[in-house]
Amino acid sequence: MPGRVRWVERRILAPIVGLVVLGIAGAARAQDADSGDAPRAPAIHAFVSQGAVKTTGNEYLVDNSKRGSFAFSEAGINFTSQLTDKLRVGIQLFAYQLGSLGNYQEKADFYYLDYHLKDSFGIRAGRVKLAYGLYNDVSDIDAARAQVLLPTSIYPPNNRNNLLAVNGAEIYGYVSLRRAGALEYRVFGGTVSLVIPSQVGSPTPISNAQVPYLAGARLMWEAPVPGLRFGFSAVTLKLEENAVLPTPPALSAAAVLYADVFSVEYAAHDLLLAAEYAQQRVITTDNMPSLLPLSTIVSDGGYVLGAYHLTRWLEPAAYYSLYYTNVSDRSGREHMQHDLAGTIRFDLNNFWIVKLEAHFMHGTAIVADTTQATDPANWGLFLIKTTAYF
Amino acid sequence: MRAPRPHVVVLLALVGLCARSGSVAADPHGAFRLIVNPANPVSGLDRSFVAEAFLKKTTRWPNDELIRPVDLEADSPVRRRFSDEVLKRSVAAVKSYWQQLVFSGRGLPPPELDNEDQIVRFVLKNLGAIGYVSGSTDIEGAKVISVR
Repeated sequence: MPGRVRWVERRILAPIVGLVVLGIAGAARAQDADSGDAPRAPAIHAFVSQGAVKTTGNEYLVDNSKRGSFAFSEAGINFTSQLTDKLRVGIQLFAYQLGSLGNYQEKADFYYLDYHLKDSFGIRAGRVKLAYGLYNDVSDIDAARAQVLLPTSIYPPNNRNNLLAVNGAEIYGYVSLRRAGALEYRVFGGTVSLVIPSQVGSPTPISNAQVPYLAGARLMWEAPVPGLRFGFSAVTLKLEENAVLPTPPALSAAAVLYADVFSVEYAAHDLLLAAEYAQQRVITTDNMPSLLPLSTIVSDGGYVLGAYHLTRWLEPAAYYSLYYTNVSDRSGREHMQHDLAGTIRFDLNNFWIVKLEAHFMHGTAIVADTTQATDPANWGLFLIKTTAYF
Repeated sequence: MRAPRPHVVVLLALVGLCARSGSVAADPHGAFRLIVNPANPVSGLDRSFVAEAFLKKTTRWPNDELIRPVDLEADSPVRRRFSDEVLKRSVAAVKSYWQQLVFSGRGLPPPELDNEDQIVRFVLKNLGAIGYVSGSTDIEGAKVISVR
């Protein structure tokens, strides 16, 4: 199975990256020849961010968050070119560090060929952002929102390594319903590139892991009230992995994940209100049930969020997010995460923003991998982040 | 420790909404006219169509010509008025919308031109263009259309 995934990446995705680069280069030459055709000029956008993290009580996001850490950096640059009225190509290179994640390894955040046949039907192929909920596909775009961290109940920061984009294709469209508003849909499928975290010292290191398939869809209904939209997203994927045990045989495990989210957003004038509820079901199977019991675990969570542009340069925002790791056991701090967050975003100019954010946390579900049972249930998280972009 | 409650967030948002009332369209010089190429057969458009065109959700005129929206710079009072009345979003909110599309590979914003003379020239040059200018600008033969 991993060989098949690598074959797909080598035989299909690599040529697409090549075409994207060639397309942009070609468009650049076309731009030189016809500088008056502005809509077809290749566009370049970029951002650079630096943040700091400080927690009270638990280590979160970065290794030394209780002492305070600056291991919170991002940089990205993208090139987009409208080759014809219907064909667009683009690529975004991205590197980041968030504690032990990222480690400044540059990667293609996305790359695609986009054929927009008509408003109600288009297709993108390559590595495309994964449409899940209102904000998953923009969760790494600091300049596009008020918050530093999106609500962790639905958009955990550590998902950015694996679930930000899908290597495959999506079809999309926008269908006007006249007086009933409009429908926007995206349907996608492919695989994801897994990043296996460091396993130094692990007694059962993972020898390989892959996602043979991922499929999903998002449907948004734009209501006749300007700015009001409702959505439903669903994603399923299969994860297969093998782990080396001290004595043979190796452990082979598979997990099938189903996730769905209901969304509502109201964005009008300077006000943004949003709420989402998500549920995830993970069904695990393996060849050694005595060692790793077969299981079905359902987690759920949701949030309500508000943001408001008081002035062009000042935008306060707040959200309350709640997450349970297992709906059959909602007790115990390690199974829950309440997160009340407040943010102030300052737009110093059209290219530079600064954000201050504070979280009051109750529960340790989102830090369960790295904390001890003695860690406090109530803790604080403070972030400051600055981003320059164009 | 009691868990925080979601209605706190909603109340904060409502307080912000109330504080905002009365501040919309305070600039009397921000009035705008919507203009298209004189060869464009349309004479009037629904507000929702114009909004979808400027947000590039709708990309074709009824005659299948490509729609080419063009914006003034973010600081323009005319753009602020147009954004509030037609797009129903502030300029800052629209910029956030485009940031989302640009950095997720789903689209590019309309070109932003420095002044209204450039808007008029762009509209006259491109058959599918649509732009907005203030009431006092010489539109040099561009066609003014009404917004329903």
